[in-house]
Amino acid sequence: MTQNSINNIRNFSIIAHIDHGKSTLADRLLEVTGTIEKRNMQAQVLDTMDLERERGITIKSQAIKMNYAAQDGNNYELNLIDTPGHVDFTYEVSRSLAACEGALLLVDASQGIEAQTLANAYLAMAHNLTIIPIINKIDLPGAEPEMVTEELETTLGIKKEEIIFTSAKEGRGMGEVLEAIVKRIPPPKGNADDKLQALIFDSRFDAYRGVIVYVRVFNGTIKPEMNIEFMGTRKKFEVQEVGSLKIDLVPSDKLTAGEVGYIIAGVKDVKDARVGDTVADANNRAEYPLPGYKPAKPMVFCGFYPVQGEDFKVLKDAIEKLQLNDAALFYEPETSAALGFGFRCGFLGLLHLEIVQERLEREFNLDLIATAPNVIYKVNMKNGKKIYVDNPTKMPSPADYDSIEEPCMKVTIFTPAEYVGNIMEICQNKRGTFLNMEYLDPKRVMLAYELPLAEVIIEFHDLLKSATRGYASMDYEIIGYQVSDLVKLDILINSEPVDALSCIIHREKAHYIGRALAKKLKKTIPRHMFQVPIQASIGSKVVAREDISAMKKNVLQKCYGGDVSRKKKLLQKQKAGKKRMKRVGRVDVPQEAFLAVLQIEK
Amino acid sequence: MNPLSLYIHIPFCKQKCNYCDFASYAGKENLIEEYINTVINEIKHLRPTALSTVYIGGGTPSLIAPKYYEKIFKLLSIAPGAELSLEANPGTINQSYLKELKNIGVNRLSLGAQSFNDKHLEILGRIHNAKDIFKSFDDAQAAGFENINLDLIFALPNQTHNDWKEDLKQALSLKPQHLSIYNLQVEEGTKFYNIGDKLPRPTEDEEVAMFEYAIDTLKTAGFHHYEISNFAQPGFECKHNVVYWENGNYLGVGASASSHINGNRFDNPKTIEEYIKLTQLQNKVDLLGHKNQPDQKETIFMGLRLLDGLSKEKFKGYEKEVKELIDDGLLEQKDKIKLTHRGLLLANEVFKLFI
Repeated sequence: MTQNSINNIRNFSIIAHIDHGKSTLADRLLEVTGTIEKRNMQAQVLDTMDLERERGITIKSQAIKMNYAAQDGNNYELNLIDTPGHVDFTYEVSRSLAACEGALLLVDASQGIEAQTLANAYLAMAHNLTIIPIINKIDLPGAEPEMVTEELETTLGIKKEEIIFTSAKEGRGMGEVLEAIVKRIPPPKGNADDKLQALIFDSRFDAYRGVIVYVRVFNGTIKPEMNIEFMGTRKKFEVQEVGSLKIDLVPSDKLTAGEVGYIIAGVKDVKDARVGDTVADANNRAEYPLPGYKPAKPMVFCGFYPVQGEDFKVLKDAIEKLQLNDAALFYEPETSAALGFGFRCGFLGLLHLEIVQERLEREFNLDLIATAPNVIYKVNMKNGKKIYVDNPTKMPSPADYDSIEEPCMKVTIFTPAEYVGNIMEICQNKRGTFLNMEYLDPKRVMLAYELPLAEVIIEFHDLLKSATRGYASMDYEIIGYQVSDLVKLDILINSEPVDALSCIIHREKAHYIGRALAKKLKKTIPRHMFQVPIQASIGSKVVAREDISAMKKNVLQKCYGGDVSRKKKLLQKQKAGKKRMKRVGRVDVPQEAFLAVLQIEK
Repeated sequence: MNPLSLYIHIPFCKQKCNYCDFASYAGKENLIEEYINTVINEIKHLRPTALSTVYIGGGTPSLIAPKYYEKIFKLLSIAPGAELSLEANPGTINQSYLKELKNIGVNRLSLGAQSFNDKHLEILGRIHNAKDIFKSFDDAQAAGFENINLDLIFALPNQTHNDWKEDLKQALSLKPQHLSIYNLQVEEGTKFYNIGDKLPRPTEDEEVAMFEYAIDTLKTAGFHHYEISNFAQPGFECKHNVVYWENGNYLGVGASASSHINGNRFDNPKTIEEYIKLTQLQNKVDLLGHKNQPDQKETIFMGLRLLDGLSKEKFKGYEKEVKELIDDGLLEQKDKIKLTHRGLLLANEVFKLFI
């Protein structure tokens, strides 16, 4: 059978916590269905970025089509749409899920339910997807499938008899999984003869072919030479090619309702084919777009500056290129009096930030100064206006506003019971409010706290991991803004304010952080020929001061004929050290100083 | 080849001092004969002529019998009125030794006094005491030396400002023609370096005070402060060392000795064993034979060590740096460009801009 009817299509994704074996399961399904021959198999086919393989995580969503001959004698087209597991990429998960009718919920038989398992399972339920629960890694010595079964029953209300037990590594249970996909997940609804409605769930820029748009067709048919319109951006294009997503792009004559595939239509800019937008027939427009999703909102911000000012152009090109495939990455040029020209970038979370920074440095060979990350504040001005501030430098004067609100989140932590005390202490120090605590079983606890996002983005995850020997997992959701007693702490070096070092912090912590930051900077900044005062101030009030004493003497005493080469090298070394620093006013400041605020120990 | 100045290195010592990182070795006296023969071979090969200065440094040159120097000097073509210096350590010389040196032509003696405090001398690992310095100085004068230098080191472990004042007072009581004053520097590979932070050194403020006290005191006593670390009675500036600071031509022979001829630099092997193989001699002759220009950066950073400064023309292309340094009060410009008093203490900060 070459022509699938809509009843023979199944669209699904896999949701799992990091390391629970999602990529291995995907690999095995591709193999069993013969989509990829075993000998051509490179581990974790769907994770195409080097970084993804190295970190063992999926960053971008991917889609792939498999053909499966089921026990009922029919051939099915199975579209697997891969989703990232990490909490930062919730947005990518939700857009993948919107293109599916079902999801495989994968849980590690020895680890049990983790924070992200739950978060993504709820997300799938919210999209009305059919969930196929799978307990994986049953081959491991520490596997406790009965206990995990119980957890699934109590936390998600999953029926015991629905659960499939697998070992993706050994290929056990794959047949059952494929049969369950066919039998339990409903076929897509929709009509190939209706007006075209296709949801863009991803897009990718290809240097030769322009933007490749990944769609799920809900109604109608899409073919080459057809005129299409992106309903949100109202841009029109002529379709050049459509096809399905195998390991490579495989052209076909059309895509019909229920199918997943790609469109190439001479689109030059990814922004024209916005993820979440609906593709319509330009000559026969659908009345309504499909329900899209909210655009990704960056939550964490920081400044990126090239160490060498002349690299600005390289940085600009690099960020532009990355953004082509990363809709969630926000950036705008910014100028710092201290650091020169750079970009203020917005990210979904800290991991996203780290990945972008690593990709910029690795793929574009850049040396970057990253300023300390911060969140976006809502400032209630005296004149009644509300403004959003994503950079401490832009915080208005206290005289002009009534209050500042900061984003808060509900953080859910899964942990072995013995670490509850440690975690509570961390949350307390991070200005957390206890919400509730629940025993999943006698040994495992779910803790919920409300915490300011600003506190979570700075070393919270590291603290959590080290306080629980790596056993705890966390998930978070933004619950909105709350008024908080925040102040802007400025740093003055040699009496000049250094904008890149300003930070917004809670008033109660301001003095402590001011003192610690001044001390830290004193250690980081080398001595100069003049005394360099370092001041931390809130408004015009100086809350801490440290002085870097002037260098009084730096002279090579003994220097004769035999010393010339050696002393020259010594001077060159001293000079080279200075060159790697940023000059702020008359003071040379090393790179690490700009991250000093992150290194203040409690 | 037509060098004006010759340096001869003598790498032998009775004992390695605790602060010393020069090419000097204790317990290798058995190699002296062979070493001197190698020096003679090297000189024969290089044939320096019309020498206006010769400097024999170490190590401890006064460990070598005068007959060896006699042999060397016979090979040299020395210009009339040339300055012939030799470094000697108190406690290794007596009057007859010095007389022999004087007879073969040595006319300037540099005594490694370092300190007049016996406790400090012991900490430094010197083999002499204060009494030896007085004795050696008297012997030198009795032997006919009229141009004598004393080396002194300040900022020694546990040294107080008063200790240093006393050292200077003792040194001045001898009325030497020349004084070299060095701030103790703890160099890698020395015993002091291995002690690390536990070495009880004066603070930076105390070091500055000691250095400034020396500058004031010696000026009052009639000395010309002509180089960062060097002071002389007028007319007794060390001609040989001035060649270094003017980035002039000099030939170095012996282990670790450096040569600078026509803008080319060549360093001999550092160890005695490597040196006596004399395998690199032909390279040296070839390299030094090239016509080259002295490196402007070196000319500036060595030249600024002379406190009279350098003529403006030498700074061509560095006008921006010079202006910045003048604005910062580290350089001043009169007929020449030179270090200010503050620039003297922060000379590396100045030199760095020209490197």
